[in-house]
This record gives sequence, C-alpha cells and structure tokens, in this order.
Amino acid sequence: MAIIEVEELTKIFNGDIRAVDGISFKVEEGELLGFLGPNGAGKTTTLNMLSTLLKPTSGSAIVNGHDILENPDAVRRSIGFVFQDPTLDTELTGRENLDFHGRIYGLKRKVRVERIKEMLEIVQLEDRADDLVKTYSGGMKRRLEIARGLLHYPKVLFLDEPTLGLDPQTRRAIWEHIQRLNEDEKVTIILTTHYTEEADYLCNRIQIIDFGKLVAVGTPNDLKSRLEGDIVSLVFKDPAHLMKIHPLFKGKDWVSSAIPVAGDGGNAGGMSRMMEIMRRIARGRGGMGGMGGLAGMGAGGGHGGGGIRIPKRYKEMIAKAMSSKGGLSAMMKAGAKQLNLLVDDGGHRIPEIVKIVDGAGVELESVELHKPTLDDVFLATTGRSIRDERGSFTETIRRRRITRSARGMRVRG
Amino acid sequence: MVQPISGQAIYVVLMREIKRYWRAKARIISSIAQSFFFLLFFGMGVGSMFSGGSFGPGGYLGYIAPGIIGMGLLFGSVFSGVSVIFDRQFGFMKEMLVAPVSRTSIIIGKILGGALTASIQGVILLGVSTLIGAFSFVPLPLFVIGVLLSIGVMILITAGFVGLGVAIGSSLNDFHAFQLLVTFVIWPLFMLSGVFFPFTGAPSWLQIAMLCDPMFYGVEAMRVCLGSPVSLDLITIFSGIPVIGPVLVMVPWLVPILVLVLFTSIMVAIGTFLFSRAQV
Repeated sequence: MAIIEVEELTKIFNGDIRAVDGISFKVEEGELLGFLGPNGAGKTTTLNMLSTLLKPTSGSAIVNGHDILENPDAVRRSIGFVFQDPTLDTELTGRENLDFHGRIYGLKRKVRVERIKEMLEIVQLEDRADDLVKTYSGGMKRRLEIARGLLHYPKVLFLDEPTLGLDPQTRRAIWEHIQRLNEDEKVTIILTTHYTEEADYLCNRIQIIDFGKLVAVGTPNDLKSRLEGDIVSLVFKDPAHLMKIHPLFKGKDWVSSAIPVAGDGGNAGGMSRMMEIMRRIARGRGGMGGMGGLAGMGAGGGHGGGGIRIPKRYKEMIAKAMSSKGGLSAMMKAGAKQLNLLVDDGGHRIPEIVKIVDGAGVELESVELHKPTLDDVFLATTGRSIRDERGSFTETIRRRRITRSARGMRVRG
Repeated sequence: MVQPISGQAIYVVLMREIKRYWRAKARIISSIAQSFFFLLFFGMGVGSMFSGGSFGPGGYLGYIAPGIIGMGLLFGSVFSGVSVIFDRQFGFMKEMLVAPVSRTSIIIGKILGGALTASIQGVILLGVSTLIGAFSFVPLPLFVIGVLLSIGVMILITAGFVGLGVAIGSSLNDFHAFQLLVTFVIWPLFMLSGVFFPFTGAPSWLQIAMLCDPMFYGVEAMRVCLGSPVSLDLITIFSGIPVIGPVLVMVPWLVPILVLVLFTSIMVAIGTFLFSRAQV
C-alpha cells in the first residue's frame, strides 16, 4: 500500500520561482526513499509541503491516508520530521526536549516515560539524557533529534539532510541508526541529501530532483546501470585544451557521452560571469579603491532589492583573487579541466584515448578509470556535477532564493 | 482550518518558559540588582531632595517603588514576548509548529508563561522593596491585601506586554533590531509611565503622551494596590464624563484597571494574530 501519494505538487515562491514543479510520486510503506539533488533543487520545499508546514501552490498529496490540505493535523500526527537546521532547545536537557515533544503530541505520562527510555536507548544517549543539550556534540544533537522525531511512533519519518556537517564517523553511526529504524522498526523513511554516497548506501530507492522536477527515479543499482560501461576521466592542464579535445570524442561510436566537469573553482559558465563582475569592479574602482567597491557590493548583496546580488562565495573569491598577484590567471585555471567519457570496456580503450589526445598535440595531466557512481548518474541526467552548486550565475541566484524561501517558510496552522 | 485549543500544548509551552526563566540565573539576578540600585541610589538619593509629603505618606521611595516594580514587569514581559525571535533563530519554533497543535495554543502558552515569569520577577522585586522599607508606611493588614491584589494586576500588565512583545517579535525578522526596540519602545513606555514624577504638574504635551502610555495605567494600578497616591488629575479628567464620571471619582482604581483590561485584550489578540501568520 502506498503510504504517500503525491500528485502534480507545485510550489511557486514570489510569483516566479518554481521551487517544486509539478512532481508526482508514490512511496510504499517500509521504503527508505532518498531525494538526491543539489541545494535549491526543491528537496526541502517538497518535505515542507508533505509535512503541512508549507502550503502548495497547486497539486495534492496524501500522507498515511490523510490529505495534507484537508486534514493537516492527522498528517502531522502521522509523521516525524528531523529538520536540516537544529531545532532543539539547548537550554533544556535531552530528556526535557523529548518530554516536551511527547506532551505536545498528547502522549500520556506512562507512555511518555516508557518511550523516552526506549528512544534514548535506540540512539544511545541514556547516560547523557539529563545534561543540557548545549553541552552535546553535533552528532549527539542529531541523534537526539532523530529520537525525538520517532517518539510519537510516526508512520513516516522525514529526515532533511540528516548528516549535513557531521564528521565521517558520526555520519556512519547515523546511517546505521537510520537503517535499523527502517529495518527493525518498519518506519517508512524519506530523506533528502546532496551526498551521493549517502543516497547510494542508505536508500532502497532514489529520486533525483533538479530544478523542482524529478529527473530520474530508481534503485541505486538501477540508476548506475543506466550508464553502461566505464567512466574514463581525462584531466587536462588547461581548460582550453579540453575545449580542443571535446569535439574529437563526440563523433566516436564507442563513446556514449562526453561531459566536461567543473574543477573546484566553478564551471565555465560561472567563471565567465565572475570575470565580467571583476571587470566591472576594476572599471568602477575610481578613487575608492578595490576593496571599498567590494564592500559596497557586499551591502547590496546581503539584502533583496534591485541590482546584482553577489553570493558571498563569489565575493570571497573575488577578494582573494584581487589581493594576490596573478590571482586572475589562477582563477582562469579553475575552469573545467576534466572530461568524463562514458566508454564500453574502458580499460581497453585507454591506449586509444591517449593516442587521440596525443595526436591533437595536447598534454594530459592524468587519466582515471572507474565504474559509474551516482555522481556520474547525476552528471549524466542534469549535465552538472552535484558538487558544483555554482552553475551559471542566474542558476545560483535562483537556488539561493529557493533555499531562502524554503527556510523562511510561511506556515499554516 | 480552525484547530482546537489544546490545554496540554498550552501547559507544555508555559512550563518551558518557566524552566528557561529559572535557569537563566544571570538574567534574574541582573534585573533584580538593576531595580535594587534604582530604589536604593535613585530613590533615596533623589528622595532626599524633597521634604514633606509631596509624594504621599511613603515619601519619594514609596512613590517610585511601585513604578520600579513596574519597570521589572515591563522589561521582563516585553523580552519574553520578543523571544519568539530567538525561538525562530535557534530553530525550536519549527519543532512546535510541526506538532499537531494549533498556533493559537502555542502562543497562549507563550503569553501565559511570559506573564507568569515576569510576574514572579515582580513579586521578587516587591519583596526587595519591602525589605528596603519602601512600604513601611502601609499598615500590615492593608499591605497583605495590597500584595495579593497587586499580583493580579501584575499578571494583567505582563500579559499585555508579552502580547506586545510577541507582536513585535513576529514582525521583526532579526534580533539586531532588538536594541532599537529597547531604545524606542521600552524606554519611552517606562519613562512616560509616571514612575519618577507625578502626572500633575507635567507640561500638558507630556501629560497627553503619558495618557497614551499603557504602562502609565499599570503603574497607577500598582500604586493603588500598594498605598501610594494615584495621580488625582486622572480622576478629574474622567470625572467630566456623565454617569460614569462620578463613579470613577469614587473608585480610583477603575480607570487604570479598565484601560489595562482593554490594552491586554487588544495586545493578546494582535500578538496571536501576527504570530499565527508570521514566517518561521
């Protein structure tokens, strides 16, 4: 039986940003479903609508048999929600946080005491339960939040980026908790993540979401097997070399796809936009000096309104580039230098690939061969790397606006 | 969709306010100390300039003590209401809002909790003032009755100002505006409340401003309870009104109480409304 049924769910912020764009899907009872997508893809917005915190612009959804619009109270009783940002009262103890939750969900004293004990055991926090939450580590806080989300025995548990910002060891521990809840306690779990390895490791099924639309759905293995063959990654010394080589592989029948991947500094689109901004700053410098101009931009960037908004990371990069000699050319080099080829039987093709590159008179920095991962699937379905959140400048702004709208959500109640 | 009000939800939110209040010892101590310094240094210092009974039987100290208690109530309750900003900032608001209870229950719990903690603060200040001897002029039986009545008045005053705080906190979206709130809302409300100087004799523009300050009526009501003279002019102003005028002259506490009831009802309603449509 489907525990969640979503029909054409849409959320439009500020009249023009389609954060979630007519998505439909079903979740079966007992599933561990992952929403995979970059920041601003619409993951949190979708969860917020399913949990009745946010009213959809159009479309409908049924959670545990209750319509999110007609019976939000019953929906809220059916779900547990572990938010992306911490939502604990740090001035209370762990036990008091759980007690608050139990009471506000109307659990009787006896049930409450039992469940709190049970949940503290599940997340292994018994010995710290009576300490103030402000003395907890990040991982302990996260575990407490998961315990809290489960206290009222929800049928469905929403986990929004459950391991964001946690160290690898804690992440492992949280993953094990999540898996155990799903397998032993039979809780249906829907989580969002932008870590492909998390989705791969944990989820029975993955829905890749980008720009508010579902772009691919399937089990991790299904998704990976869509990319038949191997990935051969060529890394060049210079982005210009990549441009030269790229067309040479497009025609080959043994190459299923050839996709340039952005380096750490952002992809080509973002980079050219950066260059333009820098040129503007250089021109507008006048008597106030470079950093003065930057400070002014910063003020404009922080708040809404007209003019160009400049994301903080751009500002930092610009400031960094301008404060060092040769900064400009260093940034140029941060453009796309890697070309990913999807090739049948990659190992045997490498000599031929190297020959083609050599023949074009271009120097290779390295060649790497691997089986397709979810990263590659994401790259193939969206044309971008999931790690590269920059995209073009307008995309960046769109994502930031969605993220902001999703966080500062208008709530009904 | 109208959701019912849940007693359990109100109780749990209220209890959280009390726990948090009780644990913030530094806040309790500093606010008591602040009032104590006002009473001791200001009350006794400035009080020594006046001789005779111009400030009633309790002298200047007895005159300002109810107002200084009022100051504790005012600051405590507005801050408590504005703490919805912090709940939002530190995320706990989401935990409350995703629960299957109405926003109205949550905010009623918040307002009651804030009113209760600020009133506890007021009772502590009342004790401190009594120890200093601010009310030694009041006969003991009357004082006991007065204390009991003043607790009721405190709840009424603080509920209104928590409501005001919630309304402001729900409309602001960052706590950098906090300092502005203190300077432009709380201090004027306090200074115009007639704590330090009587209504009679103030310039008429100041009198008008004072009449517009709900805290003025709060301080008046506290004075009625605690044996200090109220601003008699207030009664004179209202006595011109037919039928109810003579009643007001006979019952000096009626005007402040009526105004407070009205103020508190309006503020709780506005606070609840703004909270229920605020963003998380």
